[in-house]
Amino acid sequence: MIEFVLGKYNYWIYIILMMIGFYAMIAKKNLIKKLIGMNIFQTAVFLFYISLADVEGGTAPIVWEGWSGAYVNPLPHVLILTAIVVCVSTTAVALAIVIRIYEEYGTIEEDKLLGMRE
Amino acid sequence: MIIIRTIARLMIPFIQLFALYVIVHGGSGPGGGFQGGVILGASMILLVIAFGMEEGRKRISEKLNVFLISLGVVIYAGIGILCILVGGNYLEYNILPFGTPKHASELGILGIEIGIGITVFAVMTSIFFNTAARPKK
Repeated sequence: MIEFVLGKYNYWIYIILMMIGFYAMIAKKNLIKKLIGMNIFQTAVFLFYISLADVEGGTAPIVWEGWSGAYVNPLPHVLILTAIVVCVSTTAVALAIVIRIYEEYGTIEEDKLLGMRE
Repeated sequence: MIIIRTIARLMIPFIQLFALYVIVHGGSGPGGGFQGGVILGASMILLVIAFGMEEGRKRISEKLNVFLISLGVVIYAGIGILCILVGGNYLEYNILPFGTPKHASELGILGIEIGIGITVFAVMTSIFFNTAARPKK
């Protein structure tokens, strides 16, 4: 049982990171802190994919003549390569919107922003 | 405010140096134009967050941004078409006349990565600047 729990430590790390990010996104009122939470959440997903693709003793998937052995599956890496760029782009757009909100309303606290609606 | 500005002033050169390393490293290991360009763009975003919009626009103007976006695509397509001109397929680097095929393909990939890096950096900053800019009255 203990071996089962500890042997899959990468899953635990990614679940813990994901829950930290999720908590920050839901519970924090500051928009920048929400964004940091979103980034932690996305990093957890990246780690999940990358650790799934790992092969013990595997190398980079470059094959030449007379080569034999294990190599790491490159497909998850390619997926995450795109996901990292998407992650940074969404963060850039979100930060830009936060700057606009701060210029317009003078605050980035969510409860104050919601209170201004009336 | 002063803490943010001092830290940003210290960090930005190192972030950009790391971005250049990632771009150049793309041919032989983890890294490449996408990630390096994104890191370069992130350094620009940090600069705007710390010092404000005007300071960022002073470094990278609207015109330069558009120019860089197209320059990266031109480098990418140019290397591809260069390969056709010397008698290969599109993006068949190892036929380029730079010494041995291995050396030629390394240089070709490096050029492609630089092109991608420039475009990704310019698009990132352009998205950020245009979203955060004050609407014209």
